[in-house]
Amino acid sequence: MVLNKRIFRMMRENFGRYTGIILLIFFASFTLVVMGGIGQNLGRLLTSFAENNRQEDISFTTDYPISDIGEIERELGLSMEDFISMDVELSQSQTLRLISPNQKINIPALNEGQDLSSSGQILLENLYAEANGYLPGSTIEINGKTFTVTGLISLPNYIYPLKNPFDILVSYSNFGVGIVGREDMEASGGYLRGYTVRFDDSNTSINQQAVILRERLENEGVNISDWIDNRNNKRMSVPWASVTGMQSMSIPIPIAMFLLCCIIVGIMNRRIIRAESVIIGTFYAQGYRRRELVRHYMVIPVLLPAIGGLSGVLLALPCLSPGVNAMLMYYNVPFTGIEWNVLHIALGVLLPIILMGVSSYFIIRRQLSQTPMELMKGDKHKTKVNALERVVNLEKFKFNTKYKLREQMRSISRLLFLLFGIMGASALMMLGFTIQNSLNHVFSSSTEGTYDFAYEYSFRQWHYGTAPEDAEVFSAEKFYPEGNEIMEFYVTGVQSDSEMIFLEDLNGNPLSVNQTIITRPLAERLKVGAGDTVSVIGKRDGKTYDFMIDAVSGTQAGQFIFMPIAELNIKLGLPKDAHIGYWSNIRLDIPGDQLSGMKSLEDVENAASEFMGPMLSAIIAMTASACIIGLIIIFLVTSLIIEESKKTISLFKIFGYKKKEVRSLVLGGTVYIVVVGFLLGIPLMALSMGGIYGYLGEQINMVLPVIVNPLYIIICFAAILLTYEVSKMMCARKVDRVAMSEALKSNAE
Amino acid sequence: MFISAESLCKSYGSGDGKNDVLKNVDISLEKGHIGVILGPSGSGKSTLMNMIGGVDRVDSGSIIVDNDNVAGFDDDALTEYRRKNVGFIFQFYNLVPNLTVSENIEVCANISDSPLRLNEILSIVGLEDKKNRFPRELSGGEQQRVAVARAIVKNPKLLLCDEPTGALDFETSRDVLSLLQKINREFGTTILMITHNIAIGDMAHVVYKLRSGEITEVIRNDEIIPAERIEW
Ligand SMILES: Nc1ncnc2c1ncn2[C@@H]1O[C@H](COP(=O)(O)OP(=O)(O)O)[C@@H](O)[C@H]1O
Ligand SMILES: [Mg+2]
Repeated sequence: MVLNKRIFRMMRENFGRYTGIILLIFFASFTLVVMGGIGQNLGRLLTSFAENNRQEDISFTTDYPISDIGEIERELGLSMEDFISMDVELSQSQTLRLISPNQKINIPALNEGQDLSSSGQILLENLYAEANGYLPGSTIEINGKTFTVTGLISLPNYIYPLKNPFDILVSYSNFGVGIVGREDMEASGGYLRGYTVRFDDSNTSINQQAVILRERLENEGVNISDWIDNRNNKRMSVPWASVTGMQSMSIPIPIAMFLLCCIIVGIMNRRIIRAESVIIGTFYAQGYRRRELVRHYMVIPVLLPAIGGLSGVLLALPCLSPGVNAMLMYYNVPFTGIEWNVLHIALGVLLPIILMGVSSYFIIRRQLSQTPMELMKGDKHKTKVNALERVVNLEKFKFNTKYKLREQMRSISRLLFLLFGIMGASALMMLGFTIQNSLNHVFSSSTEGTYDFAYEYSFRQWHYGTAPEDAEVFSAEKFYPEGNEIMEFYVTGVQSDSEMIFLEDLNGNPLSVNQTIITRPLAERLKVGAGDTVSVIGKRDGKTYDFMIDAVSGTQAGQFIFMPIAELNIKLGLPKDAHIGYWSNIRLDIPGDQLSGMKSLEDVENAASEFMGPMLSAIIAMTASACIIGLIIIFLVTSLIIEESKKTISLFKIFGYKKKEVRSLVLGGTVYIVVVGFLLGIPLMALSMGGIYGYLGEQINMVLPVIVNPLYIIICFAAILLTYEVSKMMCARKVDRVAMSEALKSNAE
Repeated sequence: MFISAESLCKSYGSGDGKNDVLKNVDISLEKGHIGVILGPSGSGKSTLMNMIGGVDRVDSGSIIVDNDNVAGFDDDALTEYRRKNVGFIFQFYNLVPNLTVSENIEVCANISDSPLRLNEILSIVGLEDKKNRFPRELSGGEQQRVAVARAIVKNPKLLLCDEPTGALDFETSRDVLSLLQKINREFGTTILMITHNIAIGDMAHVVYKLRSGEITEVIRNDEIIPAERIEW
């Protein structure tokens, strides 16, 4: 059809705008396929690793070996395997955990090198080995003995290799895991004995089976410590938070962008048809059918998303593997390759085409439903004044402001496009910073402020007596609200004269620790306040305990109840001087086999800064993409405004407005909408962040506060304004190029 | 002389397609006078006026307006010249459709150092009660009066009107013309007006007849007829 030649002409004439739309769609489809794909592939790698290498369901330590493993396995339908482990300090700041080789549960996956074949050999967990430069063949000095690294491995129970299962951050320079022969450890003594359990019956809940197992063991007189199931074990649960995070972002962001594109394409369709209504009317009059004309005008609204979506998906495909591998810098899972999700790919290509096609179809049909006469009479909409323009009273403003505002109100759909676009882009930009800020806050509040000690030593069994010099005793027991076992928290007993723990009330006034204090995140999740009584189940014995809350502390340090140690001990039926650990300002000399964990707050801080490094580049990438999206959106709107106001621009020039004045009038108005959009972006971001955090927090039993930092808001605001200035610069030439003859041409309006 | 243009030449295109639009045109107009350029469509009237108004450039010749050689101005000087001295009125009004009547007038008041007061202008053009209307809600004659108000709000020395009544019916045309005449009398504004309606020549001090880019006749009227009395 001859008509189709016009398509190329239109493409050429609107090159900048169409490119902008294609880029937006490209970005959305890319995000959909890459983020969705990373989430899905990571999930798949985690699941298949857990299944194939028989990840544990439960692990615990005991003092004495369990003798009837075979019997328990048969009776309860589970696999149980014993292991021994010990932590050795390679340096002041580096701990290596040695574990004996497993055959039945938590089977290591060998990624590189060879399996152990003799004494004096070690397999190292991949991420630690890489961070510290160990390759197969290199040697490592452990307690005066030289070990040869034979291979690098992934361990199903150390996917996220945390030193303590309740830590948040890994630090490969501070902590690693290695597998050495049993005889090598037994020789040196001072090791822990533990068991891992995997239930055969995957239909019954792990909790139910765990309770039966524990009962049975305790009846046999087994003294259990460090009992933990894999849902509460962050070494295995944290990676799933990434999967969820990725998947929950992979759909809404692209859809929002597709919808934005629908609006702008709709605006442009309407404009083109109105501008060409005379020609269209003439075509009608000559016997063209509406169907034929609709089809003609549909070419571009289908072509743009097709190009954008297709190229987005095509570029996403090669990026998926590096994306998944970037995640594997945090999570040690064997990489077995990428699987494509046909649904994501199909959505990436088809969704924009369908959304834009359908919305355009209705707009175009409506425009073309006028009679040939109406169409030929020309543009009846051009000078129409919309309700918004009519209602708003601008009398108080100076002319320049008035003009700029009026120009924004000219088209409500254009206004909404800009507003929503900037809202989204700003929210996206602030999202990155807020994630960083919240995590930063969580990390720092878990070390600074609340606690004033350098080391935390946790015993495997209750100890009695007093603390050594420069140390305090504490006791702790896990509880959970009835019916919500995943929401475990500690009640910590502290010395009533403690100088190592500082709590403030919600207004920042110091609280005496000689009372029962609940932290704010826990109070919020349990929905309790001062004066209330909390009724919870003890993790260890399944009995119900009541705690009367005296005060709520504003600390974000985590989910805790703090109370005087003597009171807690009495509740637990323990002697007054019982304690489970020390807080200390100096290193204490405690035999490793007595300890279930040692935490150095300095290490935690190091881990935080180690984590924040790569995080920062992710945030920069996020901010940059948000800026580019914002830039395209402002550019699209501005270029439409320029085109629609060509005649007015030309008039301004004839009347003697200077270049700068014209530019400011025409390009300056969008700034109001940009600012409003940005401001509305703040609550949008806080709301969506709250939603995501709530979800993630539940998954990994952690409270992630949405903390909006004014400094970051200002930085983002500056970035948005900068974006706006850049788009203004890009459009300034367009304004300059509008000729005075535009208004002098003596054609009727 | 307030305006004196000599040997103006202008052509568009080149080679075979070269179109000589103005060939050695001379015109002049005294301060405070009304001048009319009369001629058929395509004769070069608008081209001539655009050059005097400083929106187009001459190929050769000189245009002296109030002792300045406009033909020698650069772009910035032309902008300054139009801003300070010239008011424009067009056949199709050229109002900004999304601005109200008073806002349309402000477009020009905004760049003037000492604009007339808005209410004063509105009463001169008789649109006090319509100042918050949008152009679309006005008749053609009313729209043209808004355009007149916009042109004179900065009290320009020179008012250029390109077929100001070209789109109006007889009655409305006469209203607009008498408004222009009133402005000429009250403010002493020099007015140069294009028309192809010979009757309008009667209200001018001087009429230049233009045909194919050449002045064919110059008529000087000793007696100026009030616009209300013009008939066609
Ligand atoms: N920008 C231009 N480019 C080419 N030709 C032009 C241009 N402007 C005017 N012309 C030509 O100059 C001639 C005179 O035009 P114009 O001054 O508008 O006539 P009038 O106003 O008397 O109707 C016409 O033939 C027109 O086609
Ligand atoms: Mg003309």
